[in-house]
Amino acid sequence: MSANEIIRVQDLHKWFGMLHVLKGVSFSVAPKEVMVIVGRSGSGKSTLLRCLNFLEEPSSGTITIAGQSLNIVAGTRYDHNKAIAMRLNTGMVFQEFNLFPHMTALDNVIEGLVTVKKMPKEKAIPMGIKYLQKVGLEEKKDVHPIRLSGGQKQRVAIARALAMEPKVMLFDEPTSALDPELIGEVLDVMKQLAFEGTTMVIVTHEMGFACDVADRIIFVDKGYIVEDGPPDQIFGHPKDERTKLFLEPIRKVQQI
Amino acid sequence: MAVETLKFPGGPGPDPDMDMGQLLVAQQRRERLILAIKIAIVWVLLIIFLTLALLQFNFDPRYVFEHFNFVFLGLGTTIGVSLASVAFATILALLGAVARLSGNSIALGISGFYISIIRGTPLLIQIYIIYNGLPQIGTALINKGIPQGDLFILTAIQSGILALSLNYGAYMTEIFRAGIQSISGGQREAAESIGMNRTQILRRVILPQAVRVIIPDIANQFIAMQKDSALVSFMGIWEMTYRANRFARQDSKFMEMFVIAATLYWLLTIVSSWLEGRLERRMRHGYER
Repeated sequence: MSANEIIRVQDLHKWFGMLHVLKGVSFSVAPKEVMVIVGRSGSGKSTLLRCLNFLEEPSSGTITIAGQSLNIVAGTRYDHNKAIAMRLNTGMVFQEFNLFPHMTALDNVIEGLVTVKKMPKEKAIPMGIKYLQKVGLEEKKDVHPIRLSGGQKQRVAIARALAMEPKVMLFDEPTSALDPELIGEVLDVMKQLAFEGTTMVIVTHEMGFACDVADRIIFVDKGYIVEDGPPDQIFGHPKDERTKLFLEPIRKVQQI
Repeated sequence: MAVETLKFPGGPGPDPDMDMGQLLVAQQRRERLILAIKIAIVWVLLIIFLTLALLQFNFDPRYVFEHFNFVFLGLGTTIGVSLASVAFATILALLGAVARLSGNSIALGISGFYISIIRGTPLLIQIYIIYNGLPQIGTALINKGIPQGDLFILTAIQSGILALSLNYGAYMTEIFRAGIQSISGGQREAAESIGMNRTQILRRVILPQAVRVIIPDIANQFIAMQKDSALVSFMGIWEMTYRANRFARQDSKFMEMFVIAATLYWLLTIVSSWLEGRLERRMRHGYER
């Protein structure tokens, strides 16, 4: 792994039963790079993202994140403890937020610090508040998720992931479950993170946002990476016929 | 960095038609009250009818009044045995449910065997085995020179609580398992994504949420337990059924004595159900906006 790579994925396969979802995917991500994964639903883009932090167990392939590497050979048991240790390199933001409903916003943010990193609570609380400030929700620190709007929930979820100080942030359709008027506040936080140089891998349907923020876009179709390049290339002059077909209706809408 | 949630301007002052809403709410409340009163009248009539019917057929009300207190004194024992048993059963059920979801072959084997054997045999037989069967083993052990054998010889109360706990623990395991599984997979994934291990996830994320779901079911099991505790009267525990049975046999006043016991069980479950309803409402309240 060269110094200029923080994630390297080699020949990643994922099977669900007899369904071959990822068919030998390889790519790498540079530090501070914002990479957006686009593709139709069912193309395998979410599965690809979820394999990066082992929420889905890869069927075979090698995943290297921040210098730690795990090689998975199909048909053999792999090192679960290593996978759990590697999870700490990544922070994950989910489509459905998945905040812990029985904890306040602040408790959600510091849960990982206290339980996993064994940080004393007096030290964790100022850190939690710092990250809530970062997403603009310091005043909601004592509120339970049920009293937050969708956008606020997602921002707390981002703070929760950031608090663990991961090397890479993963976003799995972070705005897909939000009402249209709430999408902006979440995208604003993500733009700020990109601006600060956070390495991010994002699965999204927000093409305008992808175009603005992404350094690189990969287009996934039927388990393969079909096209990989800067936004100008993907949106302006896609090389592959499948990318053109996928983007055609979106470009039409944007022209209107 | 400033991120502000969108704020909408307030409405144009209070709604001028507020009275209409209040009128409708008051009417609904009145209709609910009238229905409740009518139902209560039907209940009272049914009770009067049953009492009159009993009095026609050689039923001795004086005997009831004289012996009511004797049966009533067993109420405390009934409640005590049920409370202790439901507490132990809850612990067993928690362990059983965690074992059933563990994926560990030994834990799965033991919990599956326990649930199968308990659910496959009658509670009465379990009580006989624990109270009458176990001392046989204890005596044999003592005869072989192992003094710890007296651990197998339990008092009536101990046997009763053990039998009810083991029995209810098996059924409640399934309640706990369902409660744990009712917590969405997203919660587990979120906990995994911040690096928690299985034990931490269970203790910090899954159980606190599952308990909310399960508590009404535990309360229901407690109500059922109050009635099944009648079975421990076979061991001569002086709870309500045993006390009723004593005079019923001695004086052949079966109807009188068992009507007393039945009434007391019934009142006990009515009070328990009411308490359970309050508990359920309170727990729901905490989760609402």
